[in-house]
Amino acid sequence: MDVFEVIKGRRSVRKYKPDVISNDLVDKILDAARWAPSGSNIQPWKFIVISDKNLLELVRKVSPGYLGETPLAILVCSDREREYRVGGSLGRDYLSISDCSMAVENMVLAAYALGLGSCIVKSFSRIAVKEMLEIPEGIEPELLVIIGYPAHKPTPPARIPIREIVHLNKYGNKFPTSMER
Amino acid sequence: MTEQKTGNDYLFEIAVFLATSAQGCLNEPPLYGPFRLLDALSKLADFPDHATGLSPDPFLKEIKAIVDDKKFLVMYDVDAFKKAIEEIVEKFAKEMKKRYLQTK
Repeated sequence: MDVFEVIKGRRSVRKYKPDVISNDLVDKILDAARWAPSGSNIQPWKFIVISDKNLLELVRKVSPGYLGETPLAILVCSDREREYRVGGSLGRDYLSISDCSMAVENMVLAAYALGLGSCIVKSFSRIAVKEMLEIPEGIEPELLVIIGYPAHKPTPPARIPIREIVHLNKYGNKFPTSMER
Repeated sequence: MTEQKTGNDYLFEIAVFLATSAQGCLNEPPLYGPFRLLDALSKLADFPDHATGLSPDPFLKEIKAIVDDKKFLVMYDVDAFKKAIEEIVEKFAKEMKKRYLQTK
């Protein structure tokens, strides 16, 4: 699948089939994640694959943004101590979030390319998730990626036109483009 | 993935949803407040399915269907989301009149 096709075809899915995802596909998604870029190549991410039904249900219950039921979720955490050690306060306070976000983008694109649906969830209770998954100090839950076979194909939401978000050379200068959407 | 829940299980689940939503609403976009309330309304409509002593409420099920159909508008069409809430409240008002004011 062409990369532009994947980027434009991916949707945030909120209705899923209960079908189990094979370990092979999960491996591919995690491999895509670890190949994401990171500031100073710190690779601060830690991934918790949640496949245990009972645990997954508990995480879902403390995550108001977890809409729909999936057979799998992957919690992407940042190793804030490692970020600080290598990247200083810039790493700990900013790059940890952007690095994990880039890993997450790779994950959802990979999932889509593999025929899976996904949704990135930030609306979860950090305190409750840390308790349930026994996450130690220094490891910070950043984003929850819920994954499953999609039960519907969401309509693409509108995009802000390029002319409204792109500037040429200086802020405010119109960027010439033929793309309206 | 769906297990048989008791009324107490389901009540507890809604309570957890409300507590974690309250925590989320401290920092989330303001419109997520009404979104979570609608989601809670949708969950409440299923309460009689799990609790003995409560009878199914077709009106609440109808509202649930509308809520589940419209709640995601918050992500991409805020005006339509607000309109949907108004329509839901209007339906409740009409239902209240029917339930409590109808002359015999």
